[in-house]
Amino acid sequence: MGTGRRATALTLIGIVALWEIAGDLDLVASGALPSPSEILVAFWRDKADYWPHILATVRTAAIGFVIGNAVAILAAILFVRVPASERLARGINIAIFALPPIAIVPVLVIALPGEGARLALAALAVYFPTMTAMTVGLREIDPRVVDVVRAYGGGDGAVMRWVRLRSSLPALLGGLRVAAPNAVLGAILAEFGSGSRYGLGAYLLGSLGRADPARLWGIGLAATAIAGLGYALAALAAKRVTDASRAVTIASGAMPPAKGRGQQRIAIAVASFLLPFVVWWLLLWLGGLSPIIAKTPLGVFEYLFLPPTGASARERLLAALVETLPITVLGMAAGLAVAFLLAVLGAVRPGIVRALLPIALVTQTMPLVALTPLLVLIFGRGIAVTVAITVSVTFFPAYVTLAQGLAMVPRAAFDLVGAYGARGWTAMRLVALPASLPWLFAAARLAVPRALLGVMIAEWLATGRGLGNLLNQSRGYLDYGMIWSVALVSVLVSVALYQAAVMLERVATRR
Amino acid sequence: MGGGGRAVVIEDVVKTFLVRGSPLTVLDHVSLACPPGSFIALIGPSGCGKSTLLRIALGLEHVDAGRVLIGDEAPDAVRRRGEIGIAFQDPALLPWRSVTANIALPLDVLGRRGTARDRIPGLIRLVGLAGFEEALPGELSGGMRQRVAIARSLVTDPDILLMDEPFGALDLILRRQMNVELQRIWLERRPTTILVTHGIDEAVFLADRVVVLGGRPGRIVGIVDVPFPHPRPTTMFRDPAFHALTDTVSALLAGEE
Amino acid sequence: MKLSLSRRAFLGTAAAGLAAGAMPGYFRNALAATPFNFQASWINDAEFTGYFVAIDEGLYTAGGLDLNYMSGGPDVIPESTLISGTADLTLTTPDTTVKAIVDQGAPFKIIGTQYQKNPIGIVSLAKAPINSPADLVGKTLAVPPVNVISVEAMLKLNNIDKSAVNIVPYAYDPTPLIKGEIDASLDFTTNVPFTIEQAGEKATSFLLYDFGFTIYNDTVVVTEETLKSKRAELVAWLKASRKGWETNLADPAVWPPKFADTWFKGTGRTIENEVFFNTAQKPLIESPNGIFSMDEEGIAKNIEALDQIGIKATREMFDTTLLEEI
Repeated sequence: MGTGRRATALTLIGIVALWEIAGDLDLVASGALPSPSEILVAFWRDKADYWPHILATVRTAAIGFVIGNAVAILAAILFVRVPASERLARGINIAIFALPPIAIVPVLVIALPGEGARLALAALAVYFPTMTAMTVGLREIDPRVVDVVRAYGGGDGAVMRWVRLRSSLPALLGGLRVAAPNAVLGAILAEFGSGSRYGLGAYLLGSLGRADPARLWGIGLAATAIAGLGYALAALAAKRVTDASRAVTIASGAMPPAKGRGQQRIAIAVASFLLPFVVWWLLLWLGGLSPIIAKTPLGVFEYLFLPPTGASARERLLAALVETLPITVLGMAAGLAVAFLLAVLGAVRPGIVRALLPIALVTQTMPLVALTPLLVLIFGRGIAVTVAITVSVTFFPAYVTLAQGLAMVPRAAFDLVGAYGARGWTAMRLVALPASLPWLFAAARLAVPRALLGVMIAEWLATGRGLGNLLNQSRGYLDYGMIWSVALVSVLVSVALYQAAVMLERVATRR
Repeated sequence: MGGGGRAVVIEDVVKTFLVRGSPLTVLDHVSLACPPGSFIALIGPSGCGKSTLLRIALGLEHVDAGRVLIGDEAPDAVRRRGEIGIAFQDPALLPWRSVTANIALPLDVLGRRGTARDRIPGLIRLVGLAGFEEALPGELSGGMRQRVAIARSLVTDPDILLMDEPFGALDLILRRQMNVELQRIWLERRPTTILVTHGIDEAVFLADRVVVLGGRPGRIVGIVDVPFPHPRPTTMFRDPAFHALTDTVSALLAGEE
Repeated sequence: MKLSLSRRAFLGTAAAGLAAGAMPGYFRNALAATPFNFQASWINDAEFTGYFVAIDEGLYTAGGLDLNYMSGGPDVIPESTLISGTADLTLTTPDTTVKAIVDQGAPFKIIGTQYQKNPIGIVSLAKAPINSPADLVGKTLAVPPVNVISVEAMLKLNNIDKSAVNIVPYAYDPTPLIKGEIDASLDFTTNVPFTIEQAGEKATSFLLYDFGFTIYNDTVVVTEETLKSKRAELVAWLKASRKGWETNLADPAVWPPKFADTWFKGTGRTIENEVFFNTAQKPLIESPNGIFSMDEEGIAKNIEALDQIGIKATREMFDTTLLEEI
């Protein structure tokens, strides 16, 4: 343990020292990478500017966090009380998880002017992790205690009230730990685009044109600090509550086995697919927006399949999709590979990986637009930069899932091969890798929507191709039909890839 | 109520489960009559359906044929009034509730407020947990947790007490102690009691009547009445008459094997 | 459409009823000054100094307007805020507005223009200068995706094959230009040269306008409905805004420092930058006929330039009558 901690400290110090040297001597990307000391100096110089922005971001994130979690908790309770409702809401849940923020922010800004769009994005960002964790927590309870409650005439309501709610608390807090940084990121993303006067996102936007990388990194690190604080607060709360401590796996959003007859199941599946479209329609109707900007599902269909726009729109959309899809798969594979290597390295050399984790966390909370110049200077504007950006947005959740999977390989299995002299990498190859295979699919499931998001961001910021570019161009031309079409296609692609991963996961775990 | 429980009558019960798609009969025409205030022990090999029989008596499982009557009512109705006390093999305590609050769980579920809680301190003393009122289950030993579960089964002042191997996880010494305590509790309140157990000497020590179930499918292979008067001293474990009875039960169990 | 409009009208009535019930003072204020929502096209910078002057000097209030100024941003599509009813008036680029009128049937009218000459141009480093479209051949040019069509039109007008220029996306940050990863970028020539000079380089630039792509920018746009129902307010807005701009441009160095703790607070930009911007934009905004004016020649040039990129503008899309009423 002691040597592990020392390895962590040494690696961390080493990385920061290398960073400082590289930054001071302008070794990386002709000096576009600022050194830690430059970032600190810039932060000190700008400190008076930061406070209103930090306060605005914290406020937006906090309100969005409360709203999103309230909805997520109520939804989870409903899903557990009425299992059919979960299957029915499945399409909506996955769609919310898969929504690429860059596709929906312009739409949110139209539909919910002012603060609404920012709160909505922060709330949307927390819904899925909390809902998933809470559902698992409510569902995985001690069946013997349930018998006790039933023995005294308690029904489902009593089981919920006396057993499920409280026993879901550790899982809920685990979900909140993921949700807290998500809320911060959602808030910043919306601040960036929505014409907000204050907030780190707004500050970032104003600072982008200044060619001052130290400032941009300062803003990014401030965002990381807030997100990290959110994580730490949720973790602290979890520690206080979890006397009935139990490992929380966000990954296992597994569905209960579907009950009911074939026809009924098909009906629910169809309804679950249609429901997001109904909700989309309803929201537009309630919002009372002009059909020029707010396209209903029918509006999108008309745009894509009826003259005069249809043929050309389909052609452009298809061309963009053909550019985006293969690189999404490639980027996802690369992201999973990095996550897998990191997880394996973490199992063999935990000290080193613990030191890499803070840096990995920074890559998760650093707004990508702040890193674009650095990335294009290092990777150019071809496939490399797209893959790099995609890896950076996908590997972390995948790593967390895989590390969890590797940690669950029974000690005894390691001891067994250890007894025959297998150590380190050999033990890994013989035991850990086969055992963690199912987790790879769970990781893929989490990585899919993020991979598409990463590719679209790269296309928008660096390469100027594919769906990301089409989306941005369409915004410029007020081509609302195309904006909605790209948003729809990107969600559908995410959902399709997600479902593919779910199916592979089922096959893999069935063995 | 204090005068002791009501009769529990199990009539010709058949229960089948679906195992991998094919039906498996667990209880095959089982009948059992428990007079008011009696103490019945159910004993049998693993998988003979004795726990299932208990759950049926409790109304938690449906039957494929036959019926269960408590007094002249179906168990569901009796259960909903909180007149059945239940203790499972596992104490099944809520880890976030103190000893007192865990014992109060049935009252919470039944929505009983006020004076219903007044008997909890007495129950805690009865099971020998005085001083641990506010302890959490994680801070208790296995035996102490089990005693909490037993106190919980008595908190509604039940007419019927159903216990599914409540001492199964305890070591022999503790188990003996708990047997004595259970006898004392039963004598005090005289609920009609059905105890499912693996332990032959435990069954003979506590029960008026030992019902021996045979396995696969479960059916009654013998009934042994225990004539010793209550309260029974622990010295009885060394009594030859006691041993003769345990041998009879053993033979019934072995004959079926 | 009919359905949504009638429901919106209903909701509006309901809201007004609630407001009247809850806030008795509301209508008294409304009589004093009409609420008027103005959506700007970007975050607060020198591009909007004239409006800030007009607000702080009380020019809108004097004109009977209770002005609500809304900052813009990359995800705020100014025209959308008109359609959704969030704003009464906004600033746009004429190409997107005209395209929306033609393609979507959007009911917009252009009633004035802030910039007589679009400040967008090609910015490069003085040590590797790009002084005309011809210099772009074989070079890498970063262009915001929105403006690619404009650049392609400019290339075509100057007989340059667009495939001879490597066009990549521009993501707000001039660092790649300063570091030489790209050779030039499309940006506001009034703004980014300052940053480049701060970074120790010299910048050079030319306007697309000067090479044939003759469009306005920050055109003042309203819906036809607003034009009918709030004509007096629009004239008042143009009048107050013109006064604000005239006051501001009288000496471009005077006003930005006064906004350091208000309009420009915490934007991440410096006051020196805003002064540079404000000074550089002066010749692009001023017009002999008065700020915001659109003369026939200018409108014709816009129509001609837009025609080059396949956007069919017509004279009817420009309404110069309000300017005459100032």
